[in-house]
Amino acid sequence: MPIHDLSYRHWSGEWTSHPYRWWVITRQGISLLIQKKRFLALVILSAIPFLVRTVILYLSVVAGNLPFLRVDAKFFENFLTQQLFFAFVIAIYAGAGLISNDLKANALQIYLSKPITRQDYVIGKLGVIAFFLSLPTLVPGVLLFLLAVGFHSNLSFLQQNYWLAGSILAYSLVIILTYSLVMLALSSLSKSSRFAGIGFAALFFFSQIVYGILSHILRSTQVAWVSLTHNLTQLGDFFFAAAPQYRSPTWVSGLVIFGLMAGSAWLVYRRIQAVEVVK
Amino acid sequence: MSPVMSSLARTWREFRTIAFLTLDTLFWSKKTIFVAFISVFILGLSILARLILTYNWVRAPFTPAQVFGTLMSTAVIHFLVVFITLFYGTALISEEVEGKTLTYLFVRPIPKPVIMLGKYLALVWIALLLVLPSIVSSYLILYLGSDLGPFFEDAGALAKDLGIVALAILAYGAFFSLLGAWLKHSILAGLLYAFGWEGIIPYLPGYLRKLTITHYIQSIFPHDDTPGAIAMLVGERTPPLESILTLVLLAAFFLSTACLILREKEYIIEQ
Amino acid sequence: MTGIVEASGLSKWYGQVIAVNKVSFAVGPGVTGLLGPNGAGKSTLMKLITGQLRPSQGQVTLFGQRIWNNYGLFMRIGLCPEQDSFYERMTGAEFLAALLRIHGFSEAEAGRRTTSALELVDLAAAGDKKIGAYSKGMRQRIKLAQAVAHDPEVLVLDEPLAGMDPVARRETIRLVRGWGKAGKCVIVSSHILHEIEAMTPTILLIHNGQVLAEGDVHQIRDLIDKHPHHIFIRCSEPRRLAEILVRFSDVLSVRFQPEANALTLESAQPDEFYQRLPDLLLRHEIDLEEISSPDDNLQAVFHYLVK
Repeated sequence: MPIHDLSYRHWSGEWTSHPYRWWVITRQGISLLIQKKRFLALVILSAIPFLVRTVILYLSVVAGNLPFLRVDAKFFENFLTQQLFFAFVIAIYAGAGLISNDLKANALQIYLSKPITRQDYVIGKLGVIAFFLSLPTLVPGVLLFLLAVGFHSNLSFLQQNYWLAGSILAYSLVIILTYSLVMLALSSLSKSSRFAGIGFAALFFFSQIVYGILSHILRSTQVAWVSLTHNLTQLGDFFFAAAPQYRSPTWVSGLVIFGLMAGSAWLVYRRIQAVEVVK
Repeated sequence: MSPVMSSLARTWREFRTIAFLTLDTLFWSKKTIFVAFISVFILGLSILARLILTYNWVRAPFTPAQVFGTLMSTAVIHFLVVFITLFYGTALISEEVEGKTLTYLFVRPIPKPVIMLGKYLALVWIALLLVLPSIVSSYLILYLGSDLGPFFEDAGALAKDLGIVALAILAYGAFFSLLGAWLKHSILAGLLYAFGWEGIIPYLPGYLRKLTITHYIQSIFPHDDTPGAIAMLVGERTPPLESILTLVLLAAFFLSTACLILREKEYIIEQ
Repeated sequence: MTGIVEASGLSKWYGQVIAVNKVSFAVGPGVTGLLGPNGAGKSTLMKLITGQLRPSQGQVTLFGQRIWNNYGLFMRIGLCPEQDSFYERMTGAEFLAALLRIHGFSEAEAGRRTTSALELVDLAAAGDKKIGAYSKGMRQRIKLAQAVAHDPEVLVLDEPLAGMDPVARRETIRLVRGWGKAGKCVIVSSHILHEIEAMTPTILLIHNGQVLAEGDVHQIRDLIDKHPHHIFIRCSEPRRLAEILVRFSDVLSVRFQPEANALTLESAQPDEFYQRLPDLLLRHEIDLEEISSPDDNLQAVFHYLVK
């Protein structure tokens, strides 16, 4: 036709397949956070222990396996345990507002009016916080392992310690998933990101304090399962085949962490709804 | 009534209204349920300790004073007081900004420092309301029994504890109110200070310990037989009178700085 | 330049963005419409006038005094902000009474003024309901009530009709006009032209942070020479009239509307045209049925100055 119709035309191209819809939310969340300079500074700060450990790795190879420069399973486990505090701070910064800001802006209805499911939304949000939590844990943990392998002139380290890669992965994933799910659950409870952040801080620190008091009263470390960080540390000992630091059974710690994750996931799923049912 | 008295009466009326308005807003919120839960949990720990004492569930003996001291130093002063003042203190101004209600206060004929002081008073009230009953109840649970001797002997320590808690609320409350008036991410800054900076002071030498509020609080802490970590935490104590004075001055300094910031800062209320 | 609210070389910038750029004006008693498209700087200007922001340059005064941190002036100012935010747990009456007590009124006086303000905005029956349960229109009215409860001399109303139903809208316009007539200085902002037109012919037109025009909308229209005036004429013989009118050099164009038996012409000198027209109609015996100027209004002023 000589004169073309330039009014609205329906999209006739390919549609993104459904399994990847969550990626849009994750990508958007990551790009928004990356633009914040203070947050980037925090992430960079969390890399300092990694740099220190890299120097220790180097020195252990150059100067020999001295007691204070020993690179073994405990070396990697301690690194990840030390990163728990950085992961805590990053979880609050990146995660407190993930769902609460959407609740505040009534954006949930907009999200769920698009052809995505609740699962897509939750997985998308989970992806954001999991990505940033992997930066102080999984990524430097794996890098340290690769550096340890690379610094040796033969494959002896790899042959003796190949299983550490799995341990690093498992411990990191437990930390990432626990923190991500709990933070998302708290974020879904309120329109205030402040509430979510402080709630997570309360869980993190108060559980440690309760353990401190109970262990003092009961003169035993069997109650380590009440503390979030002690449970994670207990599982870390398990993954790295180390002697448990606390008398609390490892399976109890596993159960508590699993329960936390499951409870958080259930809470998030319950809270994410497009409509509010008023009874 | 003279003009000066009339002006003072009016300022007091405005100050009181701000305080009650803030108290109403802070108290009837999900925050209070959360904080009350933690207070009750601490009571639960006292009950557990009392049961252990009564039924000898553990072999190694401990006294009510030891348990109470541990509860006070770790759960109450080092956590509950800090947590409450952080939670409410940072919210005093931040929530008004986020909720876009600050405009209503700023277009009233009331000096901005009076707004800050009124809100601070509400914070102190609510913190005392949520903490003191928990302490007194824990004391009663741990000490009341057939032998009332220790109950009366340690009552002086209880009174001191209540005073220390009040001082801690004043100092921490003022500090976190300042953070809330000044910074956008005040919660994070407060957490980093309270559980980051104040958490590492055992490892700091010399005068650096004095750059924390907790040093002065621990210096006047009456429970000498608390776990060894506390002694390490304190290191050299500052004399009690000096500590009390420093805490009061710190509270005054933080509060006046918060007033100054509220007065001079432009708060951008997003439309 | 004398007025109750005066700005002199007033500028405000946020980093690299200039929100208000060397604005000078004087607003006196009566209703003044602050008009401009979204992002023009209306809200920033209102915040500067009400002391919520400090000028980056220049000054803004009320009753000859600078407003920033001059809290004494706030007895004489009432602000109805744009944002829909309240202390949701409070009832409407509690909200008004609390703000009045902050003003310094005694409890009894605050109660009396609360009742009066609620009646004024037709919320007397809903005064004991929590604001969280109010409809959008009721929330807007309670905002208006808190702005006027202390009987201020200056009222700054930022989008006061937003969310109101037609009846409430009409009532509010009536109230605003009444306050203007009573001698209060009322500054009303909106980007909805006919709302402003219904309240006042006096406007302050702002765009890109600068004042484009100030004063009576009709006077402003007259001054816009660049855009010839449109004149609509319905008569017995539009084509014959057109034939006569096109001989004059100020008539720039003629467009016929056969269905209305009318024509619309553009004239570069409307005053001369209006003077000449009666004599022409009489001489040529053409019956005039209707004459009007479609663009002698705020819409046209806005369109010509802003677009």
